[in-house]
Amino acid sequence: MKRFMIERVFPGASELTTEQLAEISRTSNAAVDSLGVPYTWVTSFVAGDKIYCLHEADDAETVREHARRGGFPCTLVAEVAAEFGAHTATEHERQRAGATT
Amino acid sequence: MEREPQLEQLRTALRRATDEGSVVAVAGEAGAGKSALVRAATADQPWSRVARGLCDPLDTPRPLGPVRDVLSELGTAPGQDSVALAALGERLLSAAADEPTTVVIEDAQWIDEASVDVLRFVARRIELVPLVLVITYREGEIGPRHSLRPLLGDLARLDSAATIHLAGLSVDAIRGLLQGTPLDAVTVWALTAGNPFFVTEIARHPAERLPTSVRDAVLAGTSAVDADDLEVLQLLATAPDGVDDRLFPHLGVDVPQLRRLEGTGLLRRSRRGVVYRHELARLAVEGAIPAGVAASLHARVLEALERLGSSDPAVLAHHAHASGDEGRTLRYADRAALDAALAGSHREAVSFLELAAASTSDPQDRAALLERLSFQLYMVSRLPEALAVIIEASRLWEEVGDQDGLSAAHNRRALIEYYLARRAEAQCHVEAAVAHASSPTHGSARAMQMFLAYRRNALREARSSGAVVRAIASERRDEELRLRADIVGAAADLVDGSADARERLLDLSAEAASRGFDETASTGWSQLAAIDVEQRRLRDAERLLDRSLPFTVERDIPICNQWQTGVRSRLQLERGRWEAALEDARSVLDGGAPIASLWPHLVSALVPLRRGDAPDDGVQDHLERAWRLAQEIDEPLALLAVTTALAERAWLLGSGDPRLEVAATLVRDAGSVPGVQWASGQLALWLGRLGLDPGAVGVAEPARLQLDGRTDEAAEHWRALGAPYERALAALDSLDDGTAVAALADLETMGAWATAQRGRDVLRARGLAKVPARRRVTTVANPAGLTSRQLDVARLVAEGLTNSELAQRLYISTRTADHHVSAVLAKLGLATRRDVVRQAADLGLV
Repeated sequence: MKRFMIERVFPGASELTTEQLAEISRTSNAAVDSLGVPYTWVTSFVAGDKIYCLHEADDAETVREHARRGGFPCTLVAEVAAEFGAHTATEHERQRAGATT
Repeated sequence: MEREPQLEQLRTALRRATDEGSVVAVAGEAGAGKSALVRAATADQPWSRVARGLCDPLDTPRPLGPVRDVLSELGTAPGQDSVALAALGERLLSAAADEPTTVVIEDAQWIDEASVDVLRFVARRIELVPLVLVITYREGEIGPRHSLRPLLGDLARLDSAATIHLAGLSVDAIRGLLQGTPLDAVTVWALTAGNPFFVTEIARHPAERLPTSVRDAVLAGTSAVDADDLEVLQLLATAPDGVDDRLFPHLGVDVPQLRRLEGTGLLRRSRRGVVYRHELARLAVEGAIPAGVAASLHARVLEALERLGSSDPAVLAHHAHASGDEGRTLRYADRAALDAALAGSHREAVSFLELAAASTSDPQDRAALLERLSFQLYMVSRLPEALAVIIEASRLWEEVGDQDGLSAAHNRRALIEYYLARRAEAQCHVEAAVAHASSPTHGSARAMQMFLAYRRNALREARSSGAVVRAIASERRDEELRLRADIVGAAADLVDGSADARERLLDLSAEAASRGFDETASTGWSQLAAIDVEQRRLRDAERLLDRSLPFTVERDIPICNQWQTGVRSRLQLERGRWEAALEDARSVLDGGAPIASLWPHLVSALVPLRRGDAPDDGVQDHLERAWRLAQEIDEPLALLAVTTALAERAWLLGSGDPRLEVAATLVRDAGSVPGVQWASGQLALWLGRLGLDPGAVGVAEPARLQLDGRTDEAAEHWRALGAPYERALAALDSLDDGTAVAALADLETMGAWATAQRGRDVLRARGLAKVPARRRVTTVANPAGLTSRQLDVARLVAEGLTNSELAQRLYISTRTADHHVSAVLAKLGLATRRDVVRQAADLGLV
């Protein structure tokens, strides 16, 4: 499966209560269960008027299908090409050192 | 595919939107390629953004469905409570004001009534905004009483509207579509009559044996589908409005199955979810659902919609009804009817209430639904049905012994009977309604009683009912009821000759309008207009109707629209504008309420009589109908008016009428009735011309002067009132021969050829030596032949407005205004607009 980053424009997103987030989660889980193809909701972040989600699926069209079935906006779907962080620099150093010895 | 000229026409309209808005209707049979054409024209073009509104083939369409679609696409979605149709129209126009916009309304053969009203509002003002309104509809499915008809009627009159007709494809075009298949173009053409959808389906599945119907052609595409998938296709086919993706989890349709179904080419995605690519395809699949299975499919969709929390009662009612679930049908149809009535979609409210009433056998529920149904039927002016329905409600309430219900039914029936012009029945039912004093509708019944008394000039009785209504209104804090009493009270005072009552009636009606009591406000203006014309405040009536008639259209009150159009028809008659009078009369008589039809019948008889049109049965028929109506209405003003028309006819044709024998009695009796001095004066004048002495007392001033032989003063009086026909008739009796002879010319100028001819006899009989012969044609300017629209234009030109000011005022483009002004000048035989201003007074335009 591939990983996808999804941007959802959702005015007032940061004001959502835990209860409302739980409701959205229920709807999303039901949509995932109904797809009949492999699909994983990894995690989501609420930021300002947007929600960013990380999902795993075979293709972007299935990600959109999930959004339609859940009734969620789906402003942008992009496949994750790589993942990196602070550790990437040291890991990279270590790999290069390993390669030269 | 042989649609290039049509495509170019549509694209030209889009391209020109920045300069001038327009309406383009695209008409053709199902499968003719209307949607495909519109898609091709609107896709990938730089000139305007596009918003779409879809109409659904639900049994009863959802009110304002397409309008709400469009507004939400334009980012100006209305709340559920926004119900004024004009306000929705304004919203659409202002959304398009700053950016060229194309609004596409598809499949308007399924449109609802409220949407039509909004679109008519927009179409009339479209030239001023960069908006192209594209409407597709199936030709041949629009009967004379179809909701869309009024809009199509408007389009036929608008300069800025065009219709594109899509005919069948030629053999050559079919050959192109069949390329790569072994099929013979001529054979396919003969089979399909060139229907593009049918041809395309055949080309998609070029089987050896040609399918013989659209249905077979579509079903050929499903032959490879397994049983489970076919069931889902059928499930989708039960939902004409498409299936929201959010339903799929509840319907158990997963992604692999959906992909397989999309592979059949029968489905497509729309904003609303998954829909059939074409309605013909949906119908083919739906038609092939085995008997007994459809109900369970509808039940599944209904359950899924309920679990999703759907709030669209029109769709829920559709599935509940088809699944045979009476309880749910009742609940949803009832709610859908409330929504429809609030939105002003009265036809749809009627359908939903019919459905709801058919879904319950509980007499109380049924009776209450039927009572609401009868009111909606009254609103759409289907009065005989409204009557049948309220009688049934009454019977049911009688059965269960519900006194409140019975009173409500009597009250409603009184209203319907009155609009059917059956006063005796109305009177009897209002009394039955009033008898039950503890009923919740008692105040309303008392107000009806007051109105009926006022209408027959029983002013004392009206006032005493009014006092009771006001007491009930203040006890219940019912402001609308209080306003109704005050409005009818002010109208009664005005009939009685009170000087300040007119101002009061105007204020009260404005107050009712500002509080949102549209029907009450409109009733106030309706009554004032009728009284103004009766009391010959013709210019005041004109100004009032200029404002109040558009209100009846914008607030969707057809009953008041018919009434006021009838009043205007009479107004135009008094003003000597024969064509405009006939135009209004025709529009009321085309299915209008009987109560509004009296003057339209009289106008339809009097204009041809005065002009001396070639004799036909029409005149006699209109007079007979008016006579019968007046007997039924049984009001002094109605009886006097019809008898006056009979007297005028007797004078014009030199024939007698047995019905005139009681005329003198009628005039004398009128002496004791308040508010009939103008009507009895008119009758007295005609009886005098017939050589009968009516012995009139208490008639209005100009008639009094004339009866007293002061004909020149009478003529001057009529002139000041703006009543040219009456003025000429008074002048004809002038002792001064020159004045009398000039009156003949005046009558001819206004086109009253028969009246002039008869006047000639009178002058000869009087011994006048030199009575001039009939002129061949008149060359003098006269507005008698102007249509209503041209009169509007002429009056504004007379006020000195420029063409562009005039265009602003009438919501038309300057180009159209130029066009109208030229037509007006041509008909008036004047060279310039300055001539119109100079002669405005003589022409009766100011």
